[in-house]
Amino acid sequence: MHPFRYAEPQSVAEACRFLKRQGPSALPIAGGTDLLNEIKEGIAKPEFILNLKRLPSLAQLREKDGALRIGAMVSLSQLAGYPILRRNFPILSEALSTLATPQIRAVGTVAGNLCQRPRCFYYRHPLLLCAKKGGRTCFALDGVNRYHAILQNEPCPMVHPSDLAPVLIALDAQVVLAGAKDKRLLPLEEFFLLPTQDITRETVLTPGEILIEVQVPKPKAGTRGTYLKFRERGTGDFAVVSAACSGRVLRGTVVEMRLVLGGVAPIPFRARKAEEMLLGQKPRKDLLAEAAQAVLSEATPLPGNRYKIRAAQTLMVRAMQAVLK
Amino acid sequence: MKIKKRWDVFFIVNGKRRSLTIEPHWTLLEVLRDHLGLTGAKKGCDRAECGSCTVLLEREPVYACQVLAVQARGQRITTIEGLERNGKLHPIQQSFVDHDGVQCGFCTPGFIMTANAFLERTRRPSPDQVKQALSGNICRCSAYAKIIESVLAASRRGKRTRA
Amino acid sequence: MPRSLAVVGKSLTRLGAAEKVTGRLQYTGDLKLPGMLHGKILRSPHPHARIVSIDTSAAEAMPGVVAVITPKDIPPNRRLQSDLAVLDWTVRFVGDEVAAVAAVREDIAEAALERIRVEYEILPALFDPLEAMKPDAFPIHPGGNLAGKPIVLERGSVEAGFAQSQHIFEGTYTTQVHCAAGMEPRAALARWEGDSLTIWKSSRGVHMVDRPALAQGLGIPAEQVRVICPAMGGGFGSKDETRMGTLCALLARKCGKPVRLEYTREEEFIAGRSRHPSITHLKVGISRSGEITAIHARTIMSKGAYMSSGNAVIRRCGQGSLYLYRTPNAKYEGTLVYTNLPVAGSYRALGAPQGQFALEVHMDKIAEALSLDPLEFRRRHHVQPEGQPGERQTPPGELVSDQPVEGGIPFSSNRLSECLRLGAKAIGWQRRWHSPNSSPGHQKRGLGMAMGLYRGGLAHKAGAEVEVHPDGSVEIRVGTIDVGEGAFTTLLQIGAEALGIEPSRVSILGGDTATTPEAPVTSGSSTTFSMGTAVKEAATTLREKILDRVCAHMGTSRESVSWNKGAIQITRPTKKKVSWKEAVALLSPEERRVRVEIRPGSTEFVINSFAAHFAEVEVDTETGKVTVVKYVAAHDSGRIVNPVAAQNQVEGGVIQMLGFALTEELLTDLKTGVTLNGNFLEHKVPVIVDLPPLKTIFVNAPDPAGPFGAKALGEPPSIPVAPAISNAIYNAIGIRFQDLPITPDKILDKLRLQERD
Repeated sequence: MHPFRYAEPQSVAEACRFLKRQGPSALPIAGGTDLLNEIKEGIAKPEFILNLKRLPSLAQLREKDGALRIGAMVSLSQLAGYPILRRNFPILSEALSTLATPQIRAVGTVAGNLCQRPRCFYYRHPLLLCAKKGGRTCFALDGVNRYHAILQNEPCPMVHPSDLAPVLIALDAQVVLAGAKDKRLLPLEEFFLLPTQDITRETVLTPGEILIEVQVPKPKAGTRGTYLKFRERGTGDFAVVSAACSGRVLRGTVVEMRLVLGGVAPIPFRARKAEEMLLGQKPRKDLLAEAAQAVLSEATPLPGNRYKIRAAQTLMVRAMQAVLK
Repeated sequence: MKIKKRWDVFFIVNGKRRSLTIEPHWTLLEVLRDHLGLTGAKKGCDRAECGSCTVLLEREPVYACQVLAVQARGQRITTIEGLERNGKLHPIQQSFVDHDGVQCGFCTPGFIMTANAFLERTRRPSPDQVKQALSGNICRCSAYAKIIESVLAASRRGKRTRA
Repeated sequence: MPRSLAVVGKSLTRLGAAEKVTGRLQYTGDLKLPGMLHGKILRSPHPHARIVSIDTSAAEAMPGVVAVITPKDIPPNRRLQSDLAVLDWTVRFVGDEVAAVAAVREDIAEAALERIRVEYEILPALFDPLEAMKPDAFPIHPGGNLAGKPIVLERGSVEAGFAQSQHIFEGTYTTQVHCAAGMEPRAALARWEGDSLTIWKSSRGVHMVDRPALAQGLGIPAEQVRVICPAMGGGFGSKDETRMGTLCALLARKCGKPVRLEYTREEEFIAGRSRHPSITHLKVGISRSGEITAIHARTIMSKGAYMSSGNAVIRRCGQGSLYLYRTPNAKYEGTLVYTNLPVAGSYRALGAPQGQFALEVHMDKIAEALSLDPLEFRRRHHVQPEGQPGERQTPPGELVSDQPVEGGIPFSSNRLSECLRLGAKAIGWQRRWHSPNSSPGHQKRGLGMAMGLYRGGLAHKAGAEVEVHPDGSVEIRVGTIDVGEGAFTTLLQIGAEALGIEPSRVSILGGDTATTPEAPVTSGSSTTFSMGTAVKEAATTLREKILDRVCAHMGTSRESVSWNKGAIQITRPTKKKVSWKEAVALLSPEERRVRVEIRPGSTEFVINSFAAHFAEVEVDTETGKVTVVKYVAAHDSGRIVNPVAAQNQVEGGVIQMLGFALTEELLTDLKTGVTLNGNFLEHKVPVIVDLPPLKTIFVNAPDPAGPFGAKALGEPPSIPVAPAISNAIYNAIGIRFQDLPITPDKILDKLRLQERD
């Protein structure tokens, strides 16, 4: 790897101040499972690395009145092993079991998972200066785009690689962002940026800001959830398409539902059309299929990824079936 | 906040304290292989994708190639070299020998370390549980069937000796 | 009736297992020498370009950099076609070598690469072999883009055969680039002592490949080159050549210090040697009575930028079409075409998986057209023990080719019918096979099968040396290495069996040009057959010498002497027992060593191994996902020397090729020539959680020609996998896949079209 200098801040405020001052020449490191790959590939060349993992305030994992407060530096295996997770947040438990591999989960963090950079092969290749990296071309649009987005895919058809993002959005999670001077709380759904807003980054973090906590509200009684991940191999792979569904049925009628897709858009894609169509209705099989089709009626597939429409429809229907029956 | 180019650190490797001066961009794998003479962990990909570099960091299996050594300073690390006791193979190692869970051998230390950590936590695993536990390790000789057999046989031995 | 053997046929614990499970075994990348430097290679960012200038001054000025080599450092005597050329002034694929650096630390060498300034003149690049083979295409090598000479092999006359046929079936089949991707990225460590070079290298061909290549590349006599392979972390054929050994040696020579050069994983993918992709056109004629009157196969393979072992690969590709089915008329045409892509080379079973994928999917189609169950069709038409019809062309007394075209020569053994019978039974074919696409619901199951054949040993000479020490211990020395398939264990068992002693007394040494005899590459599944024959002969010769000496010493004749459990029993003139050690003590020092060089093969028979694979798959028609539910691999490889290791080989080969069938592809962007997925995340090799229930069956019938009846086993398991899977998918969903890999996107795309119609 390219040499860099390394520092360990003693507080979140100190970390933020340093990051703001140094700008793009400094990057924060959590588990390092994504950042170190980027450095090794030569697409990230920081002068400074700031270790956030030893900040005790960021490593807390606790429950308060049934709501989960996950510190940014909580490891994925730590979260997966949290005693109440399977009972109270089964969808999160499911997602964690499909995520990466055991060795990655041992060091990877929740914040790192949400803030990871895309996996597009063109983006990750040091020889190709794509639009996201400040160049003028997107190579994927007319290149190998089998794994790329079918929705909102111009000017950059990346897909957000996180498994946790769709699930946490389905759970209505919020994130706390800390800057040098203050903090802000926002829905996780608003944390992600479309390439049309800024092609060079994926989150709303401003220079000097870091994600410090994820808050997951207590699901209402009777809520069910599932996370379905379609991939080519049984482990290790990022999702080709994924569907996170959380919902509640009362007296045969859908009273609440959230459906969020991974692998289809540059951001975790909230299937609002389907949610609207199901709300207040009986979850009949044909309605589920209609809802899935409606969501993807806006799809603008690329030459290599038309198949994702069918795959996404399948996952949506299966996820809704599992949750709403 | 100290911003250093070189760090004086120690690790507890296989029960022994090892001190050295490191640079922050060195991975734990590089420190083990190039500076501590422990070449059992292998550099199969250097990208946290293949598992040949798996070691235990505080008893959890991690990809040593993707852990910055400086981040792991002061912690306990177990490598394949730490499993033998006085020249006697650890039961898991013996099991891999007895059940032919080895072909070219390059992935073997990684698999054994992962299996070791797993069997310490799980008694009487099912074949599916074994597969899930080993899902972060690749074997291209594809000796998977015999690897699973080796781990199941070791689990049936009932010995969960801590390395 | 085979006599029962003492050692062969037993599952002896694999040699070297203890070293592997403890991490003590040192691979090339683990070796260190005092003063050792680290090497790194600068690679071309362009698919085709001429190097106009190289400025290494900034790199050389960096602290810690000891030497840089460029095309300027290469003497002009080189032969481009033979792949021995290193650092040419023209680069021919993204990843081609441009320069190399040696530094005191690896990260410094890496940083130095960035400081080398290269000016390129871009040349037109070609990625499609069909474009590249056109006469007016820009030449990638002087002389044009046909690599080597196209092969044309024919038995009888396919023209006449087609004239006799009632139906003619044609089809085109394509296979992709994928990589061997052994877990150990290749490495070399070179040290000069005066003008003599010692190089440690992950190589399976120290004698036949590395040593001559290095001698030529460095311009020194072969006697001054010593090549040692300390251990191989997975090669599957692909680590038989690259130019990195020469580069490493050149760096070491310039530095005056040992240099270790290790490939990164990405380099292993793009600058290793991949499997040749292929386009095969098949034409098969069937007579009114249902006989196969002609088989005509034409294959075009994209070579990538350099020749490598292309000739062997293209030849192997035709073997199935020429020999697997009984027909008097068969023709194979194979063409290699240069392209500006990563270099293709040897990878397990060479071109056979490609050729036999096409053949076995095509025959499956024909079976259906003739309203025959695929198994029944194979039963009726597979080549029989008597071989192909026709006249023997090879003069009597000459070694018969193991990849023949001619008819009139029987096999040494051919148990394909038993493979079919046993395999079909194990998967429940009779009971469970149904017509295509007849399952209700979205998850559809299907059964498919495929046969395969592959030749045994090479016709290259093979040497083995057996030496017994005064303490009674025996050392076998062979030039090949154990690539992880258990070859050493197998050879040791053969040696111990031939000597009639306990395996614990025997050790084996290999893969060192200085101390071991010349040998072919560990390839073509040659180890068991050719090396095994050499070892058996050497050991048998030694044993005979010992018996002769004992007789002379005891004043008795050979009839009165017999070997019993590692000791010699004498019945006349008096009953006496001579221990192994006592017998060995009778030999003179020269007599204790026997060296044998043989040309393995037969003058009477074709020696081939056979297989029949059966697969059950489940296709999720809503996602395109294929799950292998059950897999049966039935093999005729003669007598199995070590059953557990053999099973491991078959399982390993099958699983690897499930990747070839379903998930693996090395993807190169066709605009920039950049290879996109040189890593384990995106080049999707099979993982443990996807392991299907797998049953291996060995016919285990001794072959008269092989050592103790053994035949090749290493590569045959790789061959029938992809067609068995494609045929099973057809049975499940009624869609024929003639292009690999069969990924979910292709399945969903075809299902969508099927629904439309």
